[in-house]
Amino acid sequence: MAAEGARAARGGEACGGDRVKALTKDEVAKAFEGLGAVDQPRGNRIRLVTTVDRAREAIGRATTALRCDHLIQMSSADTGKAFDLVYQLTGPHRTVVSIAVEIPRDRPEVPSVADLLPPAGIYERGIHDLLGIVFVGHPGLKRIILNEDWPEGEYPLRKDWKPDPAKFYGGVREGVG
Amino acid sequence: MPEVVIPIGPQHPALKEPVNFKVVADGEIIVRLELDVSYNHRGIEKAAEQRDFVRVVPLLERVCGICSHSHTTVFVKGIEEAMKLEIPRRAQYIRTIVAELERMHSHLLWLGVAAHEIGFNTLFMWTWRDRELVQDMLEELTGNRVNYGINEVGGVRRDLTPALVKASLDRLPYLAERIAKYTAMASKQRTMLLRFQGVGKLTEAEALKYGAVGPTARASGVDYDVRKDDPYLSYPDVPWKVVTDDHGDVFGRTLVRVGELVESTNIVRHCLENLPEGAIRIQPPRAAPKGEVLSRYEAPRGELVHFIRTNNTDKAERLDIRTPTLANWTSVAVSLVGQNLADIPVVVAAIDPCLSCTSRITIVDPEGAETGTMTWDELRAHGIRFYREREGI
Amino acid sequence: MMTLSQRLVNWARLKSPWITIFNSGACNACDIEAIAALTPRFDVERFGILAKGSPRHADILVVTGPVTRKQALRLRNVYEQMPDPKYVIATGACGASGGVFKGLYHVVDSVDEVVPVDMFIAGCPPRPDEIIDGVVKCLALLKEDLAHGGKEWRRKARAPPAEAKPAEVTA
Repeated sequence: MAAEGARAARGGEACGGDRVKALTKDEVAKAFEGLGAVDQPRGNRIRLVTTVDRAREAIGRATTALRCDHLIQMSSADTGKAFDLVYQLTGPHRTVVSIAVEIPRDRPEVPSVADLLPPAGIYERGIHDLLGIVFVGHPGLKRIILNEDWPEGEYPLRKDWKPDPAKFYGGVREGVG
Repeated sequence: MPEVVIPIGPQHPALKEPVNFKVVADGEIIVRLELDVSYNHRGIEKAAEQRDFVRVVPLLERVCGICSHSHTTVFVKGIEEAMKLEIPRRAQYIRTIVAELERMHSHLLWLGVAAHEIGFNTLFMWTWRDRELVQDMLEELTGNRVNYGINEVGGVRRDLTPALVKASLDRLPYLAERIAKYTAMASKQRTMLLRFQGVGKLTEAEALKYGAVGPTARASGVDYDVRKDDPYLSYPDVPWKVVTDDHGDVFGRTLVRVGELVESTNIVRHCLENLPEGAIRIQPPRAAPKGEVLSRYEAPRGELVHFIRTNNTDKAERLDIRTPTLANWTSVAVSLVGQNLADIPVVVAAIDPCLSCTSRITIVDPEGAETGTMTWDELRAHGIRFYREREGI
Repeated sequence: MMTLSQRLVNWARLKSPWITIFNSGACNACDIEAIAALTPRFDVERFGILAKGSPRHADILVVTGPVTRKQALRLRNVYEQMPDPKYVIATGACGASGGVFKGLYHVVDSVDEVVPVDMFIAGCPPRPDEIIDGVVKCLALLKEDLAHGGKEWRRKARAPPAEAKPAEVTA
């Protein structure tokens, strides 16, 4: 039956099939040829460093050639100079394939990957709320993490963000009677 | 031990968390689900950048009171990785024991909640009563029933005496017996079968496509389990199995969790019986060298991830947390389309959400006109009534 | 002088208080311990305490969490829906001062900034028996207040306005 066959191919001791082999750095470099540099920070972590405009291409190759089928996280950070976004993917090989892009601070836009990887729909909304990165092409970048009274343009996880005493960020305005 | 039937009143409070969703429904059938999870956002990631490695651990413990050990463990092991620190084996074993006890308390809690959602309050009382034994073990081993505070960068903070080990081992046979009873119940009890089978179904492809993790995904045959895929703590030393199922519905998720309860009992027993001698901690350096770590952990609800960047200081420069519940929400929204409103409590409960619920649910008809609001209690009561009328349970 | 029906109502309130638990953005530890209080090991129902979902029937509101910005208004609304006499118990370190979350950008920092609190229960989280203890002590408070005809007698008297100082005379 199809499900049985699918599981055997994925491997895992529970069903007794042979485990799919972990990816090697060379395999990953070959799949990502032309997109950027590939390095291996440690066992089970292989990383591609590429650019914003090549991110979708990289993800496409990761899900096809490298058979990645699980988006672990879209890690994000503000380095002060720019924003870093790292797509963390894995698959039956159990290797974590990371695709790292740097997003310029003055133009924080990156193409959305919600159509390629449905869980990204929620993750991108969260990152937008907290860091202000715009995911171009996302079906609906509405608030998901911050409350509805949170003012526009205030991105709390940015390194240079401080609450403005003049603004109202949500909650109750007056004290207790 | 003789069975005791506990008299319970007809009402119990809704469990937990403020998740808001808007349900677009055509009569009883759900068309679409929209989600808002801001109720529980506190700003922890930002605070973590300002607290050093000692002070940030109590904060991370309280990201979630049910899986607090998961958050602290995944963080401290990430920092230990950044510092290239090898912690003593005894500390790894102690962390593993607490981790599996946490999984047990969480799954027993879940079983009770799931039973409560379908009106099966006797099972709720039984599982929570048995859960108290796990809490006793945790309290003896770590000093607290909840928020154990056992972790620190470099090891664990408390040791296990032989007397404690024996006391814990003595409790395990009774727990195993109760868990065997719940396993039998899960596969045979009529109300549970009727409310759980066929509900919230996700095929293996859908589970992968929508990013489901943990028991939710494993119930659809996806055999990802971070303890095997990216091994940590003492899991490589202990004989245990990943539990999967291929029903893909809430029934499957129940079977997976009950199976995991059995596995966890065995892991705890093995670790207690084979506890290595030695130190429980090593002194870490004050600062962590510059680096980037993706630390993964299999929390009771699924894969928990901490992305940590360190920068030669005693604080994390960036901590990015992705909780398993956030990963599972997309699959909830998808699996509820086409189901009945009455199935919402069960399907949502089946991913074992770890947020906080005062759940206000707005019901909107397909043209967008608001037809009503319901509280979680009302929705649960609706679910119970709906199935009682339809199936006579 | 209380009428018979009033005394009956007061007796019923004391013998069977209904509580409702409101989570204002907590980590859930307090909520789980509060609910554990209903389960056989601790069994709060033997005190006649029933936990109800709806605030409209509750005597005591148990609030967990440090009050996130999203929940603050909702907490206020829930409090206002409760009929008098009503009592608020703030559980845990969060309830008292925001706990570990004090000062974070999405919390309001403690329940008593949003609703008046009658009792704080310390702990992080407090054990189920400590929660039961808090509720029982709150009932004692309820009883005292009923005897005094309400909560007013507990309010601190406002300080008298400061006397105007005579203007400084500089030679």
